[in-house]
Amino acid sequence: MSLPAPSFRDPAGCCCVFDGRVLRFVTAEALPEFENFLQTDCARKFTAAKKLVPSRKLNETEIAKLRGTPGLKTIFAAQKTVAVFEHERISFQNFPHEWPPEMLWAAGKLTLELAQAALTDGFCLKDATPNNVLFCGGGPVFIDALSFERRNPHDPLWMAHAQFVRTFLLPLLANRRWNLQPAEIFTTRRDGIEPEEIYRFCGALEKFSPRTLSLVSIPTWLSRKTNPDNEKIYQPHLLADAKKARFILESLFKRVERQLDSLKPPAKKKSGWSGYMETHSYGDPAFAAKEKFVREALQEFKPARVLDAGANTGHFSALAAQSGAEVVAVDLDAACAGAIWNRARKEKLNILPLAVNLARPSPALGWRNNEQASFLDRAAGSFDGVLMLALIHHLLVTERIPLEEILRLAYQLTNQLLVIEFIEPQDAMFRRLTRGREGLHASLDAAAFERACAPHFEIVRSLALPGTQRRMYCLSKRKGGAG
Amino acid sequence: MTILAYVDPGMGALVWQTVVAAFVGFVFYLKETRRWIVNMFLKIFRRGQKPQDAGLKIPPAEKVEAETDVR
Repeated sequence: MSLPAPSFRDPAGCCCVFDGRVLRFVTAEALPEFENFLQTDCARKFTAAKKLVPSRKLNETEIAKLRGTPGLKTIFAAQKTVAVFEHERISFQNFPHEWPPEMLWAAGKLTLELAQAALTDGFCLKDATPNNVLFCGGGPVFIDALSFERRNPHDPLWMAHAQFVRTFLLPLLANRRWNLQPAEIFTTRRDGIEPEEIYRFCGALEKFSPRTLSLVSIPTWLSRKTNPDNEKIYQPHLLADAKKARFILESLFKRVERQLDSLKPPAKKKSGWSGYMETHSYGDPAFAAKEKFVREALQEFKPARVLDAGANTGHFSALAAQSGAEVVAVDLDAACAGAIWNRARKEKLNILPLAVNLARPSPALGWRNNEQASFLDRAAGSFDGVLMLALIHHLLVTERIPLEEILRLAYQLTNQLLVIEFIEPQDAMFRRLTRGREGLHASLDAAAFERACAPHFEIVRSLALPGTQRRMYCLSKRKGGAG
Repeated sequence: MTILAYVDPGMGALVWQTVVAAFVGFVFYLKETRRWIVNMFLKIFRRGQKPQDAGLKIPPAEKVEAETDVR
């Protein structure tokens, strides 16, 4: 069993995953506030709505048992822990650098809703980052219940406002304006993007547009004019009138909400792949046969968790979700992942869409690469079924991944079922991708594909799609196969 | 009270938030003054006659209570 890597930024406590359990260690100083917050109407309401992760306080016997565990001894000592809470585990961890902008927007909306609701109960959100949110069952869940602290009723400012701007509003603004994806921001920046960075991208006129002016230009100009050694800026500006302080804070939340609403990603975004379902090369009989094949495989194996790799706009992810599976749908195109998100929300499907390129999956990130696990570390062995439909030629030709490697990855990802579509080099799309390099794949045919599958999978059935150079395979993972 | 906030509050953003807060604080006083004047008139009219007869609208009792609630 590997030692847990606890979070470490919050002085009020830390959180770690240990033995499949999510444990939150709380210090003596923070415990009363934390427990008070969990008793508030806000916490109860959001927990009941599955928007705030449920927390259960462990009793003394349970804590004593954990204290004796070698991996947790250091955490107990370092944190001066007095209480441990267990949170419900989110089935598939996901991070802002894998979300399409639509999900970043939804995470921002939830963060703001919680900040506003907590205000009514006399609490304030002390940090406002997308890292406090995970997506589960098609919706965002706020996971850091320790982020709330008792608010000074005379304080009119929200210290986490700048962080909310950096991690939600500015990435969404950059996405709308320059099509910059969350992955391009959050892979290299934990705390979002600074107004000064966006300011450099803006043209002369754009710096004065209403949205840019208040989010980017004025903060940039003010930070240039302000003496960075002036500590007075960061000291609390308490007002004598608590009612006035609250009025100011409520007005700030309303303003931020309006800004967030104005940055909502458009419902239908176009990209190189978002129109694939309308422009693909299948005739109606071939597509119907493919759909029937996938549906039958799902009915036969009944996978509880499915990974749809190269999901495009999620047609087959929806099919898997409708069969009762919990689906993680990945596609390299964030516009496609966004389209899946919109569809899943509309049809209430249990699909988690992620903008992940299987050929360059998200790496482990954070301090010592230990804060956010890599996509493959999270995905390996997490699925009972994997769909790889109309994907293999992109990996073979565009990414130059050997066939054996693709099948080895599929073997690591699935516990049981693999539905894969084999595309002959004579296929029109395959030829379009090879661009004169047909010789590289001259030896590839169905027989070679089946030979490559043999060490890892048993062929349950296969079907040639009528009128195409494509063949569907339903494969079952060999126990003790050559992984 | 111990403040455990540990995030970077920004510099320009925090100064801007303070400036806007000062402006909103001024708006708050305008609203309060307006409400005080309205209440004063209401009191005057209540002494003499029913305000409805004088063509004045009275804010619902619950609303007045909620607005004056100080946390």
